Formats: sequence, structure tokens, C-alpha cells
Amino acid sequence: MNRKIAIDPITRVEGHGKVTLHLDENNRVKEARFHIVEFRGFESFVKGHPYWEAPLLVQRLCGICPVSHHLTAGKAVDQIVGVDPQDLPETATKIRRLLHYAQVFQSHATHFFYLASPDLLFGTDAPAEKRSIMEVAVNNKELALKGIQMRKFGQELIQAIAGKKIHGISVTPGGVHKGLRKEERQFFLDGKAVPSVDTMIRWSLEMVAFLKEYRSKNQEWLDSFAAFPSNHLGLVTPNGALELYDGNFRAIDAMGKTIIDQEPDTRYQELFGEATEVWTYLKFPYLKSLGREKGWSRVGPLARLNVCNYIPSPLAERERQYFKSLTDNKPNNSSMHTHLARMIEVLHCAEQMKLLLEDDTLDKGELVRQGKHRNLGIGVIEAPRGTLIHHYEVDDNGMITKCNLIVSTTHNNEPMNQAVKWVANNVLDGKPEITEALLNQVETAIRTFDPCLSCATHALGQMPLKITLFDAEGKLLDERTRS
Amino acid sequence: MRKANCSMNAQEVKRSLLVGIGNSAREDDGLGWAFVERVEQEGLFKGDCLYRFQLNLEDAELVTKYKRVLFVDAHKGELPNGYSFRKCMPDAGADFSTHQLSPESIVYLSQQLYNVRPQAFILGIQGYKWGLKEGLSEQAQENLEKALKGFLQKRNGSNLILY
Repeated sequence: MNRKIAIDPITRVEGHGKVTLHLDENNRVKEARFHIVEFRGFESFVKGHPYWEAPLLVQRLCGICPVSHHLTAGKAVDQIVGVDPQDLPETATKIRRLLHYAQVFQSHATHFFYLASPDLLFGTDAPAEKRSIMEVAVNNKELALKGIQMRKFGQELIQAIAGKKIHGISVTPGGVHKGLRKEERQFFLDGKAVPSVDTMIRWSLEMVAFLKEYRSKNQEWLDSFAAFPSNHLGLVTPNGALELYDGNFRAIDAMGKTIIDQEPDTRYQELFGEATEVWTYLKFPYLKSLGREKGWSRVGPLARLNVCNYIPSPLAERERQYFKSLTDNKPNNSSMHTHLARMIEVLHCAEQMKLLLEDDTLDKGELVRQGKHRNLGIGVIEAPRGTLIHHYEVDDNGMITKCNLIVSTTHNNEPMNQAVKWVANNVLDGKPEITEALLNQVETAIRTFDPCLSCATHALGQMPLKITLFDAEGKLLDERTRS
Repeated sequence: MRKANCSMNAQEVKRSLLVGIGNSAREDDGLGWAFVERVEQEGLFKGDCLYRFQLNLEDAELVTKYKRVLFVDAHKGELPNGYSFRKCMPDAGADFSTHQLSPESIVYLSQQLYNVRPQAFILGIQGYKWGLKEGLSEQAQENLEKALKGFLQKRNGSNLILY
């Protein structure tokens, strides 16, 4: 008799998820499904609105990474006003990059300190009430304080550029609204009001060192937990460097073989297909050249460090080389190593923020440029959680007639299903019941991807987790809910 | 979120903080903001005022800078007088998201991380409608008036200083 288990809701991810496990007659996992059961329909919502509203509207998808949506929509509407990325005013590009680095920095710091660190510090065996930021505050005060300060630094910088920490406005079609004056930059350099950007670099290095030491003590678990072969997708520069704001697609397979390389982001429709399943609102993007079954890819920090040749920041590049040494320069397919990859990106962002904050041209020169209007705009960016794609089509009056959004968590849909399956296969071990260990480890595996289910489904996240267990005939065997 | 104008000198500013939580674009969810707006407009409060969509982790640091903090938020359940006023006790709670912490969690974190525990209160005002629309429902507006009246009584009372 086949059986089915469901976990609903999943905690400490941003949004609301549900997991079901389908068992066979021997209580082995036949199939694992990570369901997204919320729906908002933003793609329909923006239709009929003028194109210039897109960067303002779509950032309301999310309170976690609104800047990423703001910038990606901005890149798309640049094209609608006839401005390609290379034609954007230099100051505008720098401001957008600084805004993006601040966003990735604060988002990654938030995930590491407040969502992931309880898994690492207290382990998956610890009771649920202990595996929280509140316990981190009690037991690892210094870590929690640095987390708050790092998140705050990024948020303050976002506010300085966009006017608000959440849902601010910096982008205008073809440029930015304002530059950053010397006294505004000084706020982040002198360390008087907030710890300086140099302190951010130092703390980022400390966090990388913390994870390296942690790995030395927990190597077997970190290397093997929820590890599975996958393709990896991300943006790179023409030289193959890590690129978060504007680059070309590169995808490699689990062994490092190139699948696509230096493909312009505007070709995404030719490169990717999107499959749907009846049990989730989340789509399943895949590389058309490999098909639905083999064409899915991881995105995000782990994938980005796997696909790039180098990081254009000296300290982060040094740590990337350590990261690559863990797998003899082969792609890293260990999901738990995403935490280290994420912290290396935090370091990269801190180094890049310092360079830009010390740039005296950030309030000089042209801020906006326009060309000949077009009816199509596609923007792609590496958001904190991975490759983010916005596509808009407009009529001759500039009204949006089509919108398609492929968010990072959507790319990671199949990988998250694979991670859940790995846990179920390794923890269930023939017992058709939902144990605390299963619940915790499924969450830990999903959390490595830092999914933002609100973005992925375009829904307002509330975040509970439910696991359900079904047999082969669809009979409910067990169910547990955590809220 | 937006920050209201401060009306006090430097010393007084650090005495009290009023935090309106909510979203004025979601009907009665705007009660927290509406309360702070009225208090500001009528000069009923002399400390700092803040508007928040939700409380964030860094607010744990912010509240340490004040002796007293009053969180004002819309309340979904039934309240006997249309509003409730209670002490905000530290509670680790079970907040699962990083962008939506409870006032109790904020006070808990300020105590754990900074060894500072401001005197904190929660003013909950009963709302009824939560759709995508600006403006309060008639009943919520009535509750807002009651809450303002209750706030003034507390403010003027001898057992609680809120200004």
C-alpha cells in the first residue's frame, strides 16, 4: 500500500509552504512534493497600468526583497524607453548597483542570522521553541547583535538611496531619481552613526570564518545533508565574473559541463520553458535544451559561486577559492554549503559598497536618459535568492498588456522538491509517521534555499507549515501542523 | 513606513515613543496610523512618533533609546470597549518571519540583547474591515475616538506617564 505524508506549514521561511510525502507499499518515499498554496496574481494585476508604474507596483510583491523587484522592473522599463543597460547614465548605474548590493547584503545577513543560524547553532534535534532567533539572542548575543547591525546598515543605505527602507523609490525609466551626496555617503564611511562599511567587511569576514570553522567540526553533516546533483544557473560578466546586477546567463551541469554560456538575458524565453503542476501555484522553469525532466537548475548563492570564474572583490575571491577547494574545483552540490556561499556574497557586497561609497561621482553627471520607445522590456537581475526575470509588453500608449515574472524561488522549485525527497528518504526509514526529526530536517533543507514564497506565488505570506502522510490509495495516515 | 515630525527638545524626545503599526491602504488596518496622526495633529503627545507597516528586528535596538514605548495596532478580535490597553511583557513568542515581529518579541529582544527593557504598552483598537481600500469603517472610526479618549485619560492619570 502506498502512503503519503504532508508537512504544513513550513516555518522560518518567508511565506507559507506545505509538504506531502507519498509512500509506496514498503513505506519508502515514492514522491516528495513542496506545495505552494497561495496565489496573488500580480502578473494580471499590473495589466492596464502604464509601464512607468511597474517598478513601483511590483515591489509590493514582497517586504523582504522589494529592491530586487524594483530594480528588475526598472531594467525592463529602461528598454521600453529605449535605454539598454550599457546606455544607462554611469552615475545611475552606480547608484542602482549600490542599492542592489545593500539589498543583497541585508537580505543575506537577515537570512543567516535570523533564519538559518538556529539550525547551525542548536541542530535539527533541538526542540522547535529553541530553534529561533530568540534563543540566538540568549545564547549567542554577539552574533545576534552583529546580525541586527549588518541588517540595519543595509537598510539604512537603502533608505539613503530610495527614501524608505521598504518600498522606496530610486528607479525611474532610463535612470534614477537622485544621486548620493558626499555627506550622505559619509554616514556609512565614518562609523559615527552606524558601524562603518569597513566594520561590515570585517564582520562579514568573521562570519565566513565562523562557517569555515563550523564546517571543520560538522563536515560529514554539512557535506551530505540534502546533497543532490543539479544544474546551476546564474549571471556572469563577459569575463565570467560573478555579476549580480547585469550580466549574461551561464548554466552548468552537476559535473561542471557548460549547458549555456554568455546568453543575453533578453533571450530568456528562447532558453527557458515553464511547466506547471496541479498541486502547486509555483511553476517549474527548465532549460528548453534539456527538457522538463533534466533542465531544472538551482539558483542563488550556491549556484552563482558554482557558475562564476571569479569574484571581482579581493577578499571574497580569496574565500571563493577556499569554497572551490572543498569540491576540488568541481561544482558544489551540497545544499548546506549555500550558507557559506551566501556569506561570501555578503563579503563581496560589503567590498563593493565600500568602493561605491568612496566614489565622489555618485552625485555628479546625468541621472536619466531616454531613447526611442519600444513595446517590450525584459529585465534580469541576480536577486538575493537567485535569478529574477521580469518581462513586460506595452501597447503604443505605454499601457502594460503582458507581464511575466519568474522569481528566484520559482527556479528553485524542483531543487527544493529534491531536497525534501532526500530528507524523507534518509529520515523516514520505513516508519509511516511524522516525527519531530522529520519536520525539523525538512524545514532545514528547504531553508538553505532561503525561499520567499510570497514572491514565488505572488501571495501575501503568513508562514505556517503542514506535513501530511498519505498511502497509495490516497488515505490520510498522519498530519502535523506547526504555526 | 514614515517618521513623523518630532516636536520636543532633545532631552524630552527620548522619554517616550509612540509606534503606529498597520497599513492605511487596508481599511481598518490603518487604525494604528490613524491614531498616531490624530495624536500628532492635536498635539496630544510630546515624544517621538513612528509609523510602521510591521515591526522589524532592528526596532529592538530603537526602543532601547526610550523610557516608554506605546505600540498602537488594529485588533481583529472582539474588544469590550472597542479598544484595549495593556502592558507589553517580553515574550520570545513564535515569530516565524523576519519582517513581522510582535511588540512582545521586540521588548524581549531589547532586554536580551541590550539589557534594556523600556516600559512598554500595547493599545489595540478593534477593526472590522481589511480590504484593499483607504479609510476606516464607521465602527472603527468610533473605536478610534474611544481609544483617543482612553489614551488621554491614561496620559492625564497619575499612575502612568505617556508623554
